[in-house]
Amino acid sequence: MPGFVEARDEHGELTVVVEPARLVEACEHLRGEGFNFLADISAADYLGWGERGVAGYIGTADGRDLNRPGSQGLERLPEPRPKRFAMSYHLLAIPDGRRLRVQAWLDEDEPVPSVVSVWPTADWHEREAFDLMGIRIEGHPNLTRLLLDDDWEGHPLRKDYPIGGEPVRFSGEE
Amino acid sequence: MAVEKSKRLADYGLKSERVMWKGKGPGVFEDELGELEDRLGLTTVEKAVAWAQGSSIWPDTFGLACCAIEMMSIVSARYDIARFGAEVFRSSPRQADLLIVSGRVAHKMAAPLRQIYDQMLEPKWVIAMGACASSGGMFNNYAVLQGVDKIVAVDIHVPGCPPRPEALVEGIVRLQEKIKAGVPPAYEIRGVAS
Amino acid sequence: MAVAQGGPKIYDGTRVPSPIPTMLLVPEELQGSEDLLQVNFGPNHPSTHGVLRLVVDLHGESVVGLRAVIGYLHTGFEKNMEQKTWWKGITYPERIDYLSFQNNELVFVLAIEKLLGLEVPEKATWMRMCLAELNRIHSHLVWLGTAALELGAISMFWYCFRERDQILDLSEMVAGTRMHTRYFQAGGLAEDIPRGFFPEARKFVDWMPKAVDDYEALVDQNEIWLERTKGIGLLSADDAIALGQSGPVLRGSGVEWDLRKAQPYLAYDQVEFDVPTYQNGDVWDRYKVHMDEMRESTRIVGQCLDRLEEMEGEPWIADDRKVVLPPREELHTSMESLIHHFKLVTEGYRVPEGEVYVAVESARGELGCYVVSDGGPRPWRVKFRAPSFVALEATATCMSNALIADMIAIVGSLDTVMGEVDR
Repeated sequence: MPGFVEARDEHGELTVVVEPARLVEACEHLRGEGFNFLADISAADYLGWGERGVAGYIGTADGRDLNRPGSQGLERLPEPRPKRFAMSYHLLAIPDGRRLRVQAWLDEDEPVPSVVSVWPTADWHEREAFDLMGIRIEGHPNLTRLLLDDDWEGHPLRKDYPIGGEPVRFSGEE
Repeated sequence: MAVEKSKRLADYGLKSERVMWKGKGPGVFEDELGELEDRLGLTTVEKAVAWAQGSSIWPDTFGLACCAIEMMSIVSARYDIARFGAEVFRSSPRQADLLIVSGRVAHKMAAPLRQIYDQMLEPKWVIAMGACASSGGMFNNYAVLQGVDKIVAVDIHVPGCPPRPEALVEGIVRLQEKIKAGVPPAYEIRGVAS
Repeated sequence: MAVAQGGPKIYDGTRVPSPIPTMLLVPEELQGSEDLLQVNFGPNHPSTHGVLRLVVDLHGESVVGLRAVIGYLHTGFEKNMEQKTWWKGITYPERIDYLSFQNNELVFVLAIEKLLGLEVPEKATWMRMCLAELNRIHSHLVWLGTAALELGAISMFWYCFRERDQILDLSEMVAGTRMHTRYFQAGGLAEDIPRGFFPEARKFVDWMPKAVDDYEALVDQNEIWLERTKGIGLLSADDAIALGQSGPVLRGSGVEWDLRKAQPYLAYDQVEFDVPTYQNGDVWDRYKVHMDEMRESTRIVGQCLDRLEEMEGEPWIADDRKVVLPPREELHTSMESLIHHFKLVTEGYRVPEGEVYVAVESARGELGCYVVSDGGPRPWRVKFRAPSFVALEATATCMSNALIADMIAIVGSLDTVMGEVDR
């Protein structure tokens, strides 16, 4: 398979990691193998993965701040991840029913090629990944914001983007 | 004095369940409305107009999310809002009196919401249905407007996630009682643009 | 890549527009023409299922350009769920697809259990299946009511909501609230099934097939309905698969693919039901798939009730006290239970590191949940693969050579719920 880096098999699911540069080739190869259905494209941000966060109660003076990302209070540190972003393509073969996850790891500003030519359904999934996670998709015919306002700044699902919202005001406090 | 107040409300033909519940005294709501009625001192014509306005509030179809489904079910045969005067849900805001904001309002949707509200003709009322419309609900984040009263003047907040259809009907009935008591719409009370 | 099973090809070649698969672009010869009218079917419109905005270019009555603008209900679910513990987070997925809410809870809970490796007792599995199928009927009823309402068959709305209220009564009996019940927990169910549920559910199961017959009697022979749905919004099997369609849209186009049969989860391999598939790929076929699915779901619910009645008195949630809240009676007597309850509610149970993708067949198609856990008490990333999001991508393909009135029928038949689309 072109661009193959490694394969993992956990929880009964097979994950194949490929190089981002050869992603389209790999996907076309897989489509030829029968994976004709692209179920999902998920982007994940691993900034702050495995850092010990501050434990404590939300809202107290030295407790956890809702707006600070990555606070988890872990018992043991998880396995480190190679790069910051992971784009996971969940594939399905109809009618066999085989499932596969193709993963590409990306750095901060690294683009990933678009698979719209392989599966047209990738159009909106990639736009959403760009909109919410800020991953640049090369070769996408219409890379504009999908879910947020056109003039929105920032990419909310990133770990360094605060949750936003308002602090809850309680009656009786000044 | 308390007993007279509840009689006065019932005289207008209102059938709030508290009034019908024998042995239960009037609640805070009825007391306040009674005081208001005294203070405002509406003339007969104003009372008649208020009665007419209150008995025929036509809501606008502004369903956003889960609360919209419960709002649709008050139109259904079991909870039948038509017996309270809301005969039809008008799709055009120009023909509607009541904006029931049912569901979470994303920031992107806030501008269309205000536009719809502006297109409605006075007098108009707003019910913020559910937790998300009243205060942002469980979504205290970057995407959801924390309470629709930031952009429109709300008359009645109906709590729930989603509120039962009966709860929404109670909200509408309370709104009717407010109107018939002579309480002006929220934009007049708060002095904001309508 | 051709997967058309049985049935003739619906149309030759592909109708997926290019270069942008989800947008109809105005053809060269019409651009700048005086007859072109751009109309905005704005986010608030009686004929859209929620807040969908369609910007259409009309040439007379035909739609020559179509662009969907979504995001008017974007709630930031995924980011919000990263802030809440696993137990608290179960209340969030329900509100994503607010019509088939049990399926959303189900997929999230299944993903957590897959990561935890938790065994769920049989009673919980069957009750989950029962409620998920009741929820499927609920979703189809609301779809039918609103889709018929948009096409002008207004009285269908009242009949559908009559049955819908019966289902919600059952839901209220079991979980205390009509919608968004938070009844499915990691490990099983939140509470035992109450007495009195089975007789009421049986009444519903006996009544429902007659109700579906009533609905079909209302519209099946109606000329206007037939004119507005037959041959409208064609989608071939190849295009449907290329566009990632699933659920009734895919089955209406001739592909017999149902996750409940192909990759059974819960106990779907132990119940008998058929998967309705129709060959013509138009609005009528999708409507028919919905109606038949209601009947099949009623069959499944009946079988679940039979099985559940035998399991009276069995546990309804797993035994693992590190994940499952202790029963309330124990909190008065056992110190360990109190401490566990406290820790589970405030800090939350820890889910081992890993990533999973779980898919269930919701009322709209393949509902997938991709969860990444870092071993802590909160999810690191949760992504929901919403079938309606993908269904809207097919609008442009279905709308080739369509009239404006067909647009209502087509968007209705794709059964989109905007909460899912925008998340």
